[in-house]
Amino acid sequence: MSPAVRAFRSFFRSGLRWKLSAAIAVVSALVALALSLVVHNAARVSMINSTRDVQDERVQSALRIYESTGRQVFGVRLDDPSLPRELRQYAAKGQRATYVQENAHGAPTVWAETPADEHKVLSLKSTFTDRYSVLVDLDQALVAGSLAVVGVGTALGVLIGGRMSRRLRKAATAARKVADGDTEVRVREAIGGRRVRDETDELARAVDAMADALQLRLEAERRVTADIAHELRTPLTGLVTATELLPPGRPAELVRDRVHALRTLVEDVLEVARLDGAAEQADLQEVALGEFVRRRVQALAPDAKVVVDDDALVQTDPRRLERILGNLLANAARHGRPLIEVVVDGPFVRVRDHGPGFPADLLREGPSRFRTGSSDRSGSGHGLGLTIATGQARVLGARLTFRNAAPEEGGGAVAQLLLPRG
Amino acid sequence: MAATHVLFVEDDDVIREATTLALERDGFRVTAAPDGLTGLDAFRGERPDLALLDVMVPGLDGVSLCRRIRDESTIPVIMLSARADSIDIVLGLEAGADDYVTKPFDGAVLVARMRAVLRRFRAASQADEDDGGALLSFGDIEIDPEGLEVTRGGERLALTPTEMRLLLEFAGAPGTVLSRDRLLERVWDYDWGGDTRVVDVHVQRLRAKVGQDRIETVRGFGYKLKA
Repeated sequence: MSPAVRAFRSFFRSGLRWKLSAAIAVVSALVALALSLVVHNAARVSMINSTRDVQDERVQSALRIYESTGRQVFGVRLDDPSLPRELRQYAAKGQRATYVQENAHGAPTVWAETPADEHKVLSLKSTFTDRYSVLVDLDQALVAGSLAVVGVGTALGVLIGGRMSRRLRKAATAARKVADGDTEVRVREAIGGRRVRDETDELARAVDAMADALQLRLEAERRVTADIAHELRTPLTGLVTATELLPPGRPAELVRDRVHALRTLVEDVLEVARLDGAAEQADLQEVALGEFVRRRVQALAPDAKVVVDDDALVQTDPRRLERILGNLLANAARHGRPLIEVVVDGPFVRVRDHGPGFPADLLREGPSRFRTGSSDRSGSGHGLGLTIATGQARVLGARLTFRNAAPEEGGGAVAQLLLPRG
Repeated sequence: MAATHVLFVEDDDVIREATTLALERDGFRVTAAPDGLTGLDAFRGERPDLALLDVMVPGLDGVSLCRRIRDESTIPVIMLSARADSIDIVLGLEAGADDYVTKPFDGAVLVARMRAVLRRFRAASQADEDDGGALLSFGDIEIDPEGLEVTRGGERLALTPTEMRLLLEFAGAPGTVLSRDRLLERVWDYDWGGDTRVVDVHVQRLRAKVGQDRIETVRGFGYKLKA
């Protein structure tokens, strides 16, 4: 594909505003050109015709004067050798005629001839100059007018298209916010409410209705999940306790292991439901981050290495912070490879492993429930760990981000938590 | 030594039966009650050594039952609560519970928590018989670490065994900042993963008894006793 074609294509994929104004410009230019051509030609034809009439009358009166006095007036010539061939033919037939001789440059020459006595031909020629300059002025006016029309049209296109594209852009921004979970945003309000009633307004209303419907359905689903998990909890507690009464042995071990997994899952689902419900509140206190992380990591993952580059005092909820750390470490242990490093650097806590790193979709969209941290699903995780960590970070007013270390640094997944300072 | 007698109040039949069996296997004697009022009667009639109370029980709820027990006794009380109901946990601790365990719980965890709180209690009750030793004094507070008696302005303070352990921990290092984690380790026998709110609520309760400014909060680190 040549660069020109590519530029052309990319233009047509670009903004609505420019497409609209380009279309208006092209159409108005074509209309102005056509009109100008018609006007120019009509003016020219009418001028030439009137000039022919004048020449014809002159040559007739010159003939009368010549026949009565023998004088040649008005600059008529007898048997002009430069008389055009076409006029000679008419003269030979004894007919009076006029002729317009086009010149390559400048104004045409208008001829008139009339046969005189003794097979002589009386002719008159005149250039069209003064009249022609009127035509040039007319052309200039037409060009100026056309340019003005194109300019105003394009400007109008930019204005109208700009308004529309601005509204659509605002709508897109608002829709993106809705997609990011901001349930307060209304697309219709974002584009300026009910002031304008056009298709953009219709679109905004449709998007809002869709968002509401989805929100309701999501809410219902969330409630059902939370209710189920909640209802499961009491029988599960009985099950956990009853399992411990089983006589020791491999079967009891297997049952205990699965009951433990089930219990973790139910608790995690409940936690996610609570975090989604946005009713969670942090129990804030000041925590010396270095010491806190060192102690917790020692208990949660004794093989992990803790480095405190720069200790900081942060305002946080220690139980939630512990939960985040626990889930990040569990994720690193499950999907990454040792060594797991935890670095405290001011209000930042980084958990890094040396495994294959986070999958691309997690980096792109953030963690989502029931997607494991690694693309092979052989692992035992159910994918709620990072969702919970992100949700808890939100409750803490902290930011949890995920990235992969560059291959030259040894690769691996890096989760970084930024806590608000104390 | 006679088996430790546990009062267990829980409304779910399966949990009640299974936990009773598990505790009995671990050598406890268990009196189980399905609701708060039955539990209160059992407490008064049977004089158990320890109470294990579910927060959500019909009749008299766990927190109120805990408060009633505290009015009459300093026996160890452990609350059982779902992890989500964090407000219940704080209410239970404020009502005088020594510790809590979240549901669904491991029998082993529950027994470990029970043994830890019983150790504190036994240490306190045994010391009662053995009098004498140097008195520690901090302002108007006097502590007899051997006899485990605390007086404020000459008046004897009724401290629960956990509050007593906590105060002794502070008295052992006056003026030193003790972190919540360290207190959890030393007073509650948590190796890790304890809830620091247990410490915070107990410090509040202790302050109410020994004087608000006797124990100072050091932001970001923990608490210290003012000498």
